[in-house]
Amino acid sequence: MTFVTWENVGVDRIGSAWLIRRFIDPKANFIFIPRGAPVPKGAEAFDIPGARLSHHRGHCSFHSIVRLYRLKDPALARMARIVDEADTLQDVSLEPAAAGLDAICRGMRLTSRNDGDALKRGGEIYEALYALISREGGKR
Amino acid sequence: MVTVNPWLLLVYSVPRHPTSARVFVWRRLKQLGAEALQDATWALPSGTRTLEHFQWLVSEIREMRGRATLWEARLAAGDERALRRRFEEPVEAGYRKLLADLRRRGADRPAIARRFQQLQSRDYFECALGRRVRTALQKKGKP
Repeated sequence: MTFVTWENVGVDRIGSAWLIRRFIDPKANFIFIPRGAPVPKGAEAFDIPGARLSHHRGHCSFHSIVRLYRLKDPALARMARIVDEADTLQDVSLEPAAAGLDAICRGMRLTSRNDGDALKRGGEIYEALYALISREGGKR
Repeated sequence: MVTVNPWLLLVYSVPRHPTSARVFVWRRLKQLGAEALQDATWALPSGTRTLEHFQWLVSEIREMRGRATLWEARLAAGDERALRRRFEEPVEAGYRKLLADLRRRGADRPAIARRFQQLQSRDYFECALGRRVRTALQKKGKP
């Protein structure tokens, strides 16, 4: 399946792509379009305003994907909270990792050749976070 | 950030019911530190972050069966300086309060630092007072 999102990926799009490839479609193909450009036919849009896999009711796209695909892993629920705090405005901050993750993902785009490269390298960061949180049981 | 259109304007309406939708939008606007120009016209300085937040808010308002449009604008008639001050003043007042609280005996520095971070996210014009609070917080930490 081909997934499409806007260029210049950040914390939510890097995380969502990792989530899709890791838990939904290992063969997922990602393409990038300029901000506001029409979504190509047959591609599933994510983290684009109005898309199914995007922000809903104050939650980030990562959170929406976990919910829509019914991913029951508690570590993913915890990561969804972290990305929520990194990418959207929340009343309270509970996850100190959020601000750091956001900064690292922004920097990742600056040091990557293109968006595809940023997803690949940023995916490693999410894999590391997932490993740590899984070990802690996703709780806390 | 210098742009041709230095302001973002959100024009919106949401149905009267459920009230939760109205509250959701209102709280988002407050969290962003947006200023109301008229009842349903809210302004923020233009930037990557403010643009993203406003774009998401537009799609969330539409999802709640409301209407919303987002504009990139430049003031053609009016007082730019006064508009800017509307964003600076509440942030500066917050910083002054933090400086006063820091001077108190037994000041709760971790709590003050958290309030500082919250204010900073709305400090679009990077007030000089903000740097003073940061310096004061760092200095007081030394034994």
